[in-house]
Amino acid sequence: MRPLMLQGHERSITQIKYNREGDLLFSCSKDQKPNVWYSLNGERLGTYDGHQGAVWCLDVDWESRKLITGAGDMTTKLWDVEYGTIIASIPTKSSVRTSNFSFSGNQAAYSTDKAMGQNCELFIIDVRNADSSLAEQTPTLRIPMTESKITSMQWGPLDETIITGHDNGNIAIWDVRKGQKVVDSGSDHAAGINDMQLSKDGTMFVTASRDTTAKLFDSESLMCLKTYKTERPVNSAAISPILDHVVLGGGQDAMEVTTTSTKAGKFDSRFFHLIYEEEFARLKGHFGPINSLAFHPDGKSYASGGEDGFVRVQTFDSTYFENIFE
Amino acid sequence: MNLMKTSWADEVAADYVDGLPPTKVHTDGNFKYVTEYKFNEEGKKVKVVRTYKIQKQTVPKVVAHRRNWLKFGDSIGDKPGPSSQTTMVSEEVHMVFLSSKELEQAHEPQMEEPGKKIAKCRICNGEHWSVNCPYKGTAMDSKTLMESKATAAAAAAVSDTSKTGKYVPPFLKAGGCANNGSAVGGKAWDRDRSAVRISNLPESMTEADLEELVKNIGPHNKLFLAREKNTGLCKGFAFVNFKFRHDAAAAIEILNGHGYDHLILSVEWSKPQS
Repeated sequence: MRPLMLQGHERSITQIKYNREGDLLFSCSKDQKPNVWYSLNGERLGTYDGHQGAVWCLDVDWESRKLITGAGDMTTKLWDVEYGTIIASIPTKSSVRTSNFSFSGNQAAYSTDKAMGQNCELFIIDVRNADSSLAEQTPTLRIPMTESKITSMQWGPLDETIITGHDNGNIAIWDVRKGQKVVDSGSDHAAGINDMQLSKDGTMFVTASRDTTAKLFDSESLMCLKTYKTERPVNSAAISPILDHVVLGGGQDAMEVTTTSTKAGKFDSRFFHLIYEEEFARLKGHFGPINSLAFHPDGKSYASGGEDGFVRVQTFDSTYFENIFE
Repeated sequence: MNLMKTSWADEVAADYVDGLPPTKVHTDGNFKYVTEYKFNEEGKKVKVVRTYKIQKQTVPKVVAHRRNWLKFGDSIGDKPGPSSQTTMVSEEVHMVFLSSKELEQAHEPQMEEPGKKIAKCRICNGEHWSVNCPYKGTAMDSKTLMESKATAAAAAAVSDTSKTGKYVPPFLKAGGCANNGSAVGGKAWDRDRSAVRISNLPESMTEADLEELVKNIGPHNKLFLAREKNTGLCKGFAFVNFKFRHDAAAAIEILNGHGYDHLILSVEWSKPQS
């Protein structure tokens, strides 16, 4: 295969996401401009200009109308996907680490960092009639996180719950209506959770952790189902929507990158079998650790964003589909 | 047919913007060719021909609608199609498929069998320590001792210098220094004088072969066979220190021009390192 290299960022990629149909690919990085690309040919549609700090997270709603981003400039912003204009900019007390639309797109959640004397907090806002007045409105729900800060977040089924992954390796489910914790996984992971991605049907999700493993959890009970072991911190993991495959991306810490050669760095995307927990394939490409991975919703390609600032869109060739797991 | 013929002179004279011919696009079946002219970094005019394959896809209405969105932000002035500034096709990569067997090997770096002994005898290469060797003190032992004489000598030199705790350059070591008395100095001189260099040796030469070759000529102190660092093969030359100078002279007499293993040996006095 010949991957597409998307070179729209000046600094390391923090998150990439496809929209529901998979025709658009969104990427954000530590520079200040999230980008949107046509995933088919790698053409850049535009950049979302307005942030003044590293953009840590983004999410697009299911209609591909609104985009939410959270950044180190202590704002979370809602964007019009088509025109690249700001709908609303919500100020926060510290930098925004995660932000996600609920499945219906009616609500959005974002979490702030524990920094500058502020506690980590989870906010839920109503974005149905979002306009610039959203900045002054009080969020529909605020949940202070007393234990450990949120590093990753997903909405549960039917917009009723939120799954949070924490810096200490904990995973918890919060009831959005009661504002309470309903399930706590305990310490399945020994170190912080870098990423969580749901399977296509939302019944399970895969975590990527600094403790060098990725794990598969049931999204209702938070029971750990499978463990995928590597030797390096895992920065991102994604489940294939069509096959029983999981792709893991990682590498050693970003601060050690310059002192490690590409060969020794293990910057490959690593493919594991979902059920047998065994690695069956690797794919090279990045010069640094992979920070974010996303499967195309049709399962025939996937994209990876790395510390090297590149987004690579890899379309599987027939060998991937013909490969029968022994 | 009344076609206006443009002469080549007119074409050159045509006034292009920035002196470059305009970009031409022409479509041929499923392929689109875009011919562009530009100046490269060296200021030379270059012609760039890009070939695109046109593919038709059936997509949901919303996706088709989104294809027609206008570009914005930093991409606002970009032409339709991927810009070479931001999008590149990278070089071919292949997925490396690992079978479960390979993985096991990769993950378990040669674990030693628990039953296997790590001891190796220096005398008989058996699986026991040299101290416990049944051949200790026998002829076999003395032979290996001979071979390891060079290392032993080196070790002795090191221990000598370590007594004073001061750095001694190699050429002053082992009594080579003039201040160390004539007896010791003379011995060193003698040793140097009774050394011969044998060259044009076969690659497969071993210390044992060399000893075989010179032992009938006379007693020797030291044998040195130069070996390639990586392969361990003979580099084609060796030094022999005889006990007596006349033996060394005899060696040159006998062995110089002697055929050995399809090669003709060349033996000469070993020249001291300049």
